[in-house]
Amino acid sequence: MALPLQAGLTPMEVAFLCEMEMVTVVPRQRLESLNLLSGPTPILRPPHRAPIPLWLALLLKRQRRANILPPPWLLSSSLERILKYETETSPLAFSPPPPHPHPVTSRSSPTDFVSPPFLPSSTADAPPDYLPYHWLELGEIFLEAASDDVPEQDRVRGLLRDLREVRMSKMRGSIKGLEGEGGGVSKMTGVGAMEVAEGRGYIVGVLDGLRRLGSSREVARREREAEEGGEGSEDEEMGFE
Amino acid sequence: MSYYDIDAILTDAQKVPCTFNLNLPQLGYLDSAPGRPLPNGTKVDLPLWLAERLAVSQLTPNTSLITLDLPPSLSPRVMNALKADPKSVDLRSLAANFYGLAERILELFEEEDVCDVLLETWRVRAGEVGDHAVSTGAGAKGGGGAGGGEGVEFLRGLSEEEREIFRRAHDSSKAMRVWMGEMKKK
Repeated sequence: MALPLQAGLTPMEVAFLCEMEMVTVVPRQRLESLNLLSGPTPILRPPHRAPIPLWLALLLKRQRRANILPPPWLLSSSLERILKYETETSPLAFSPPPPHPHPVTSRSSPTDFVSPPFLPSSTADAPPDYLPYHWLELGEIFLEAASDDVPEQDRVRGLLRDLREVRMSKMRGSIKGLEGEGGGVSKMTGVGAMEVAEGRGYIVGVLDGLRRLGSSREVARREREAEEGGEGSEDEEMGFE
Repeated sequence: MSYYDIDAILTDAQKVPCTFNLNLPQLGYLDSAPGRPLPNGTKVDLPLWLAERLAVSQLTPNTSLITLDLPPSLSPRVMNALKADPKSVDLRSLAANFYGLAERILELFEEEDVCDVLLETWRVRAGEVGDHAVSTGAGAKGGGGAGGGEGVEFLRGLSEEEREIFRRAHDSSKAMRVWMGEMKKK
């Protein structure tokens, strides 16, 4: 409360986190393996592609030592399909995130819990037609720092803007569609990091308002349930109004 | 709610109509008759923090010191207007901290209908506020100053809580635009 910092991350912080994503580069110069905290980078030999973190790729790109390959979903054809999905196929829900590359089965394995920031969702062999967790900031960074590597960059830029508009209005629309009681929270599957950062303050504020208005009713119901002697449903009633 | 929360303090200071259930000597100045006793049954507007205390403290086991009434901002007339069209009501002129007041009143009264109407009102108006926050920002970038013509009336009638929502939505979308603008300059 005393700190003037808001909850959540600023766009710059999200973009910083995004730079940890792995991307594929085509090096123009040889570079020996670097021992980073996250492990050694692959040796860069000119005609061979190699996956490296985005921040390193941007550094090499700025020094004209490498070209960055845009991930397949950042191509205009893929973005067009996603936009069509967002506007026509499912005008209410967000387009799904990329499928988990390691099949999740009933036998638990360590890969079950690997989540988007640690999955290579933006390398050249990432699946097209799915927006990964860092799509918006990655797209922006690509268009700024490596625009000559992105084919049809103006088209891509326009499509990214359109997608952002569509998805943000869905996010705001989800508030209007919230049901007063028993409707639960709107579905947020597939929302990107930057969108969470942008929508957080507003959505949390609205939900908090709903909670406070409904709190008297909530208290009354708790009391009624306590009088009826049922401890039964106490826990599952913890959800939002 | 924090002790120093200015909105909570302002909410507490809003007046609610009360009826005294006993004669009070020397308190006539509350009803603009200084020096006289305040007779039983007088209607006086008291701030919420005082009214709440008095309403729950009991004179005899069955009667409390005062009887609370619904404040005019939560009267059936307002509720009907909100039911008809939540967006057309000027909440700010009713009570600056409308939802805060409503929240406190709902704690004291069991008014299921009012609660329903208020939840619906908050949801619809918050959605509208979110749309305005984003579009106002976009307009301000080009023209400077508060853009938008038809929304001005609605935005003027926002309660304090809704303004806070507006501020948050506006700030985050502005931060986003600033970030995108900085990317361009590099």
